[in-house]
Amino acid sequence: MIVGVPRALLYYVYYPLWRRFFAELEVGCILSPPTNEAIMNAGARAVVDEACAPVKIAMGHVLALAPEVDYVLVPRFVSVEPRTYICPKLMGLPDMIRQSGQKMPPLLAPDIDMSKGYLGLARALMETSRCLEKGLWSTVRSFHHSLAEMRRIKHKLIAGLTPEEAFHGTNRRRKPGRRLRIAVLGHPYNVYDPLLSMNIVERLRAEGIDVITAEMLPLEHISLGLSQLRKKLFWSLSKMVLGAGLYFVNHAAEVDGIILLSSFGCGLESLVADLLERHARRQEFPFMQLTVDEHSGEAGLITRLEAFVETVEGRINNARNLSPHGDHELRHAGNP
Amino acid sequence: MPSKIFLGLDVGSVSTKVVAIDALGHVLARSYLPTQGQPIVAIQSALREIARALPPGVPVAGVATTGSGRVMASALVGADVVKNEITAHATATLRVLPSVRTIIEIGGQDSKIILLNHGVVTDFAMNTVCAAGTGSFLDRQAHRLGVPITELGELALKAASPTRIAGRCAVFAESDMIHKQQTGHSLSDIVAGLCEALVRNYLSNVAKGKTIAGPVSFQGGVAANVGILKAFESALALPIIVPEHYDVMGALGVAYLAQPTAGQTRFRGFGVVAADCQVKGEDCDGCGNRCEVVGFRIDGRVQAYWGDRCGKYSHVNYLSVGT
Repeated sequence: MIVGVPRALLYYVYYPLWRRFFAELEVGCILSPPTNEAIMNAGARAVVDEACAPVKIAMGHVLALAPEVDYVLVPRFVSVEPRTYICPKLMGLPDMIRQSGQKMPPLLAPDIDMSKGYLGLARALMETSRCLEKGLWSTVRSFHHSLAEMRRIKHKLIAGLTPEEAFHGTNRRRKPGRRLRIAVLGHPYNVYDPLLSMNIVERLRAEGIDVITAEMLPLEHISLGLSQLRKKLFWSLSKMVLGAGLYFVNHAAEVDGIILLSSFGCGLESLVADLLERHARRQEFPFMQLTVDEHSGEAGLITRLEAFVETVEGRINNARNLSPHGDHELRHAGNP
Repeated sequence: MPSKIFLGLDVGSVSTKVVAIDALGHVLARSYLPTQGQPIVAIQSALREIARALPPGVPVAGVATTGSGRVMASALVGADVVKNEITAHATATLRVLPSVRTIIEIGGQDSKIILLNHGVVTDFAMNTVCAAGTGSFLDRQAHRLGVPITELGELALKAASPTRIAGRCAVFAESDMIHKQQTGHSLSDIVAGLCEALVRNYLSNVAKGKTIAGPVSFQGGVAANVGILKAFESALALPIIVPEHYDVMGALGVAYLAQPTAGQTRFRGFGVVAADCQVKGEDCDGCGNRCEVVGFRIDGRVQAYWGDRCGKYSHVNYLSVGT
């Protein structure tokens, strides 16, 4: 028996959990290849027209796995923490896939609802293993191992690895660039998808820039950032983005600038991007929002990235010339 | 007679600009031609014009390119510097008008705002996925109304009471204009309304939330439109300077950026105006991305490749390999 895991959406957060869970249950598990044009096009054709690019990509991954597996894993993420929710398009994904009229194996689509606590996750994993006809004890044991795996991966992320690097065996972090340190924020399936993000992280790294993302921050820092808000946000994905952004804006020594990468037509980001931009502007902190969609023209992205990097560098050089304190190089040497 | 010449090329979506300056930064020659979907032909024609205008026998000491066609332009002419448009415009403005704090640049497909302080760019923004309110939209409307684009601005100044046009989206703006024309508004009122709508759209989309400090410089091809200039002046209540070379500021900026490279230029010489260039796109079937890889050849010899995501073709230096 083989379960297919689409390399899309919350794969970038929860893959280690599933991988370990299936391994413990002795269920085969395969992953779709990194997003490419063929996957995106197939997904875009099969999904409702108003879906965002990440949902189209997810559909493409499901279709890529379909001929090779007995089940496709498409969990219905409702909530991953108390009183906080996941985007409705992600919640509705299993239904969207079932109604697409495409030929495919049965979906493993447990409801993951942790709005009332972690027991919700246990319930979802129980449901999954019941579908796979596995016993109670092996499920409980697998559950514990899976949670431990998630904690292990979080340490790797905090050490500066991207999810793909942390999931697939890169243990040592490459030497971080010393030119600048820039935060790239956004929903993980935008930031790390090689096609949608046009490899933004690698592009910046190739320019000698040390890239830090929301996933690489300890959760306490995210909470610290969110404490700036007068009201609680109830979208989990936005909490990560905004929490990290506000943390950086208020700890200006940590990074030199923030790039927010969002998908065209994202409802959550339309609010959060503006909120973050206002906070950044108040502190005169370099901030740029990039909107990506299915279009493949890289020229626009490259121009904006280049200009942003040069702007940030210009500001730093200027500040160094004007003020006797604040040596940029020294400050970076102190960072891990 | 100048001792050295530096060339700046700005290959934009709608127009191709080439500027030649001397070592002191004075403009010796300039050319502004429509790209018309054929950037190579446009670059060659523009260079031909420049070569004709320059004093003979003076060596070209540095070349730089910018604009959305900067990579191809660089492959064609052999550039020493390839720079983005933001840096190019900021460089030119800081040299020509050092006191300017805000640059408003509206070109064919892009519009930008650049904020300057103490001689550095402190912030910038470009239009997002939508090209409403850029030069190509104005071009289209001028064509539809049967008014030459060069006279659109003058026509707007004649307006008695500009009508209100929705400027959010080019498609809606057009249907709004047609609606206004069918209800009997005068052409000048409609055109003036269009100018105001474009400025409103620019300020709320591109300049969204940014503090626009004076002096302001308005540049790019659209700065030729006095109707838009007047609409900006009344919306911002700030003096707006349109520099002498407003329409070639990007090219001028990279020409300045080419100056420090003097000595070891990669410029192929003005002979490229007659070179036989072939650009051919081919689908690579190396992986599922199916990139359309573009090969650029001069007289049959590969000069450069681009368009591949993985770098399999573009990362090879074809000039040194000698393929």
